[in-house]
Amino acid sequence: SPTGDSWGIFTFLCAALCNLPALPALNCSEELGAGQSIQQTYDLTRYLEHQLRTLAGTYLNYLGPPFNEPDFNPPRLARAERVPSATVDLDLWRGLTDNARLAANYRAYSRLLCYLRVLDGQVGTAELRHRLAHFCASLQGLVLSIGGVMSSLGYPLPAGPAGPPAPPGAPAAPNDFLKKMDDFWLLKELQTWLWRSAKDFNRLKKKVPPAVVTLRLEARGF
Amino acid sequence: DSHIQYERVGADVTMKCGSMDWDAAVTWTANGTDIDESHLNGSYLILKNVDLSQSGQYSCYEGSSWHLKYQTYLRVGTPPKEPVLMCRSNNYPKGFYCSWHLPTPTYIPNTFNISVIHGTKDMVCEKDAVPKNRCHIRYLQLFSTVKYKVTLTVTNALGKNSTTVTFDEFAIVKPDPPESVVAKPVPNNPRRLEVSWQNPSSWPDPESFPLKFFLRYRPLILDQWQHVELSDGTSHTITDAYAGKEYIIQVAAKDNDIGTWSDWSVAVHATPWTEEPKHLTTEAQITETTSASTSSFMAPPTTKICDKGAVVGSGAMAVCWTAGLVVAAYSVLFI
Repeated sequence: SPTGDSWGIFTFLCAALCNLPALPALNCSEELGAGQSIQQTYDLTRYLEHQLRTLAGTYLNYLGPPFNEPDFNPPRLARAERVPSATVDLDLWRGLTDNARLAANYRAYSRLLCYLRVLDGQVGTAELRHRLAHFCASLQGLVLSIGGVMSSLGYPLPAGPAGPPAPPGAPAAPNDFLKKMDDFWLLKELQTWLWRSAKDFNRLKKKVPPAVVTLRLEARGF
Repeated sequence: DSHIQYERVGADVTMKCGSMDWDAAVTWTANGTDIDESHLNGSYLILKNVDLSQSGQYSCYEGSSWHLKYQTYLRVGTPPKEPVLMCRSNNYPKGFYCSWHLPTPTYIPNTFNISVIHGTKDMVCEKDAVPKNRCHIRYLQLFSTVKYKVTLTVTNALGKNSTTVTFDEFAIVKPDPPESVVAKPVPNNPRRLEVSWQNPSSWPDPESFPLKFFLRYRPLILDQWQHVELSDGTSHTITDAYAGKEYIIQVAAKDNDIGTWSDWSVAVHATPWTEEPKHLTTEAQITETTSASTSSFMAPPTTKICDKGAVVGSGAMAVCWTAGLVVAAYSVLFI
């Protein structure tokens, strides 16, 4: 079959080039797998979205009314703007380059993970702690997965808070109610990001099929 | 001079003959027909407990000169009940539309006013020419965490009422059903049916916002549907159809990640391919059907229906038994 032939040629090229001492950084298996890791990242966002539904339900009940009421629709306070928002102009979103699209996701989840870890240290019940810990681990997996896709496509990882649990310059909430509002918006933004990411990765899936990797080799001057 | 007068069903209506005195001699007509004097109190016309049939043109003439002194158009109706409002995005991510109606008619003209608030912003919902009672909005931003609040107010001459719905951008996504559903038999395959369909034309961007599909099918003789969920592609081959039985098939669509399933598509009917009968004599027919019965009534094991994901719980056992009985009954018929 035609696809079989081009894969054969490509694998040969890859093997030949990978053996050149001048290209120690070129990792063919990573580039070949870009299409597959996008699919895996997409699947991970769907899994997390599903997990979040249970986690959010439990957490909002822990916060108590009005946070756990389905119609609760508070205005967005200025302090909540620290949490990265998935909201974006439609044409802008359409026009994002693959790099920008991936970077936005990477940055958002890195920061959301930080905030969630802070939350983890504060919650009361053992059940919640357990759920949060599990969710943070999965979210960490998502950040790494996005990073992996970016590396395999040759994009630099965005600099930013990857380690420290407390985001720099985060003022503590002055009272209990505002603290709960922060938690509410954090969960909402997380949920919206996961919905958005499914769409982001759908677009990436279509635009980065395995065959495009040959172009990358050419762009590197070979 | 004439005008319109709106009154509630069941109300008592008193009509004065313009500027005429109470004790003036007048004649009232309703739609040209004289009204009996028993309904008059002096020159006032009294209508008690009005009903819808009493709507019409009422005229008052001076007794002797027959000059028209007053004319009014009476419209009997009711104040509006709480309207029914629904918003839906069948063209995500372009925007959404809202449509409304009154649960019961008022019999008099109503005006509808709709307001859409997104966070602190007021948005304009553009009214559609057709159908009426519908308006649409374009999304300015995508992936919003802030809910949309839509309020519809109905007003008429006898009162007003309103209703509000609040929703997230993602919650109202519901595509239109798939279009051009076609089901065809597959030559030389008595157990197969090939089904194909198209994305609904209202869905603007299936590339970036792919749809997934749900197919359901059953032979007309059975009540239980079989279901198949398809994450991509717009065609599917059914491989476990009962030979020779007419099938009814429908497809529904949903955004891959958000929102709810569309309504079912228009149903299509199809029968799997069957071998052409070779002889026309009665004897040969019996031979033909008995030999055919062993091949076409090699019915699939009943577990196949039970294994389909959609049938769960105790219903599954009932289906297994029903299917088994039906198959047994047909086999007996043809022996």
